[in-house]
Amino acid sequence: MAVVVAALSSLFLLFILAPVVGLVVAGGGRGISGLAQDHELRASLLLTAWTATVATILGVVGATPLAYLLARRSFRGRAIVSALMDLPLVIPHPVAGIALLLVLGRGSPVGGALYAAGLRVASSPTGIVCAMLFVSAPLYVSAAREAFARVDARYESVARTLGDDPWRAFRRVTLPLSARGLTAAAVVMWARAVSEFGAIVILTYNPKVASVLSYDRFTSFGLSEALPVAAVLVLLALVPLAALRALRSGESHPAT
Amino acid sequence: MISLQNVSARAGNFSLADISFDVPQGAYGVVIGPAGAGKTTLLETIAGVVRASTGKIILGGQDLTHAPPELRRLGIVYQHAYLFPHLSVRQNVEYGATGTSVVDDMIERFGIDALAQRSVASLSGGERQLVAIARTLARRPEVLLLDEPFSALDPRTRNVARRILRTIYFERRFTVLQVTHDFSEAGLLGDVAIMLDRGRVVQRGDPAEVFRKPASPYIADFLGAENVFAGTARPISPEPPDWYASDDKEFIQHAVAFTTGSLTFYALGDVVPGPAHAVIRAEEVSISAEPSMSSVQNQFRGTIREIVPVGALTRITVDASGTPIVAAVTARSVRELQLFVGVQVVVGFKATAVHLC
Repeated sequence: MAVVVAALSSLFLLFILAPVVGLVVAGGGRGISGLAQDHELRASLLLTAWTATVATILGVVGATPLAYLLARRSFRGRAIVSALMDLPLVIPHPVAGIALLLVLGRGSPVGGALYAAGLRVASSPTGIVCAMLFVSAPLYVSAAREAFARVDARYESVARTLGDDPWRAFRRVTLPLSARGLTAAAVVMWARAVSEFGAIVILTYNPKVASVLSYDRFTSFGLSEALPVAAVLVLLALVPLAALRALRSGESHPAT
Repeated sequence: MISLQNVSARAGNFSLADISFDVPQGAYGVVIGPAGAGKTTLLETIAGVVRASTGKIILGGQDLTHAPPELRRLGIVYQHAYLFPHLSVRQNVEYGATGTSVVDDMIERFGIDALAQRSVASLSGGERQLVAIARTLARRPEVLLLDEPFSALDPRTRNVARRILRTIYFERRFTVLQVTHDFSEAGLLGDVAIMLDRGRVVQRGDPAEVFRKPASPYIADFLGAENVFAGTARPISPEPPDWYASDDKEFIQHAVAFTTGSLTFYALGDVVPGPAHAVIRAEEVSISAEPSMSSVQNQFRGTIREIVPVGALTRITVDASGTPIVAAVTARSVRELQLFVGVQVVVGFKATAVHLC
């Protein structure tokens, strides 16, 4: 039995690891050394990083109250809101891009109004941020809700009886106690935003984020040209992965 | 003071229905009840953490039913200390304190000076609870709600915590409502006892009275009354029982015969004839070798079936015509009367010791 479990586990790990290691070995060196000369790659990595950061900040600011509500309050329609949050996770991402284009494209009332106000969404960094936000914010909501749920609500009750109003109790107790979990949630959101392709390619092909660039080079020049970009993206993904591991060690606040 | 008038509330699976009681200003109220009775929900409703759906909550003479917890001038200490883990011991005590001097005073009184700069994660369970009580008292609450705060402590720390709390209580005379499932604690501390069961107040009053005269067989059982008998009660006044030779008018007017199995007990009270329960505390049952000629109206011959030493007392179960009656006697009595399993004895208890419910 143990042998079967070990063999299956090893095979699965190999299946995950082999393409990634192969990609880094084949293109990692060329990708890193090419960063100095490849302006397009540098620009696309920079674009990817800052748009993902902006999307994450917007997600944290906009979705934290919702995550808190879902963790703490029972209200009518809570199940529906939870299901809505899962929707972007289950619909194919190009479909998400099409849906966003429909609402935010120049031809739509919202997109048209924004364009008239000088804010172009489609085919601009704003479109990239919108696509990233749409597909990755639900991951933040889910993880942030868990982070709040791990903090026993009685800490807040005690803070309230010690004189805090709800906002002060949140700021002085709940936020510090859930900070690690919220940061981990933001890191997950950022990592997911960086790796997004399907929704972005529909809403904003140009300027190109790193995932679109690797796809573009693959379709235009073949595998060898796509490899360095793809390898750099994989190496970039290791940063949030390491951050997550550090954050998740030593989390949780049981009653003390 | 704490005054609840027809309060109902719901929190998760627990609900309170039509709760009414008063704890006067400066009094020590004790809420007693089994697990799941809604004791914590009751405290949280008074604290405003759980919203009351109906009724009125009056604290210090003001109707604060809809006031948020921070405006109720009360403090709550849970069974778990709920110390803020990201703050030091001193920062915890300072959290809601009214001033620096009161923080220093609490830290000194609770003997936690040496721990003040430590992280709360490094404290023992007893130390945490001392810090939690100090933190709550540093706010100078007018009402203190205690949710079994001593139950997880070792006996020594429990005594220390109780003593310090009692000292501060007598100094400041705030109103206290403490939840406990330990009736001895209730009897020791309380001015008012409130029995809670399945979200309802089933009895309230002086703790000694609740202990001696439980309102139902369930409460009697919960409070640890060893002798709870199901049977039939019938008033026998104005005819006194045939064995009764005194001319005590009051007894004759209120005498009740209670029949269980083949035994008939005599009790005092005004009962509706029919099925009832008789409760007799083991401490009120005496054992002798022969029937006594005293005012003990109920005396039955029986055989000792079991002898179990429990602390300073020994519990002796006597089979009286098929009905087991438990008596609690001192170890000295056991020796002097030479009580062993199988020995024939007489168990006796006064009519006033029989509580009918």
